[in-house]
Amino acid sequence: MSKAIVTPLTQALAEGKLTREELKGFMQRSNGPGLRHLTLCGLVLACTTTLVTLAWDSWLIWPAMFLQGIVLVHYFSLQHECVHYTVFRTRWLNELVGQICGLIIVLPHRFFRYEHCDHHTYTQLTGEDPEQIPLPKSLGEYLLYLSALPYWRGKFTELFRHAFGRLSEAELRFIPKVEYQAVYRDARRMLAIYVAIFLGMAITGWWGLIWYWIIPLILGEPVMRFIRMTEHVGRPTVAQMSENTRTNLVSAPWAFLCWNMNYHAEHHYVSSVPFHALPRLHEKLKDHIHVEPGGYLAAHREILRQIRQRSRV
Amino acid sequence: MADEKPWKDVIEVTRLEKNWVTRVELGSRLIAIYDTPSGVFASLALCNHGGADLCDGYFDGHVIECPLHQGAFDVRDGHPVSAPATRPMKVFETRIENGMVQIRA
Repeated sequence: MSKAIVTPLTQALAEGKLTREELKGFMQRSNGPGLRHLTLCGLVLACTTTLVTLAWDSWLIWPAMFLQGIVLVHYFSLQHECVHYTVFRTRWLNELVGQICGLIIVLPHRFFRYEHCDHHTYTQLTGEDPEQIPLPKSLGEYLLYLSALPYWRGKFTELFRHAFGRLSEAELRFIPKVEYQAVYRDARRMLAIYVAIFLGMAITGWWGLIWYWIIPLILGEPVMRFIRMTEHVGRPTVAQMSENTRTNLVSAPWAFLCWNMNYHAEHHYVSSVPFHALPRLHEKLKDHIHVEPGGYLAAHREILRQIRQRSRV
Repeated sequence: MADEKPWKDVIEVTRLEKNWVTRVELGSRLIAIYDTPSGVFASLALCNHGGADLCDGYFDGHVIECPLHQGAFDVRDGHPVSAPATRPMKVFETRIENGMVQIRA
């Protein structure tokens, strides 16, 4: 008998944590929830943009840009949902919105999709999960990660590598051969768009996007690093989904900004479930997964406890 | 044609999941049977990208989406609809005969 690979979903179905009928219900897609959520995200961004404008001539522009940055970096969450085609029922809308998000946060959509596929196949498996964030060895390493400096260095190295027509060993494993050229094209197109934007600013003499986009993005990225760490860091580096992923119960504004991606273990169990159904899926799976009721802060307390413990050994 | 594969019964039509995908076993193979607005179609059940069982995936109209990475295929001819699916999936000629879904396999 030809056999499907074992996935968290097949396990959940086999163990009766989820029935086929329930699964079917959770997976249903429509465009409405995604369009409503996207509209609200746009309004939030408009509000923070207004704050930056109002604070233009004072020191208050820095906290305003930080707020703007927090909103901007959360476009990663939207892009992530688009990678899974779970924002909109209309598949091309996911593709379009994902591409735009990628442009905002410097993450080519196609490349991210292939990288993310292996993250789902090999979650938390050292050497195989291309998105794995290792548990920092020291407080210094922890703070360095949170600064987002290694993140940006990695992202720009990656982008230029692809623009020059090269892939790393790991990338050669997870990108299908037929897509190599497309990945190179995406990187070149993205860089060309950025160059065009900067040229446009230089020609017009209006450098507003530096203050509305670039600086906020840099200020906000540590927040996204802080959040991304809570998904898997400090959880066992094993294949069992009930162990290797953490769901964080966070307040409504944070859940809104991250498109419910705080329900991360549920998402890994059934990545076909759209963002708006994840809270319902949580109710179904919460006794079978690792849940951090204290949210992001409690997850970091646990990460720091493990770092301290490791430093003492 | 002389070398055409024979029709084989796979499942009663009444046992198909309405507007969804149904998993059946045919010898050593897992087959996915799709009930669509334009008729019944069949393919190999395992995704040719990551090997997951398409029968646990999301099915919408004529598109089956893999539950693991969300690559998708059109079940009518197997062509990949969205990445990470890049190669066509194997589909089978399908018909309904005396209340049975039959495929050439």
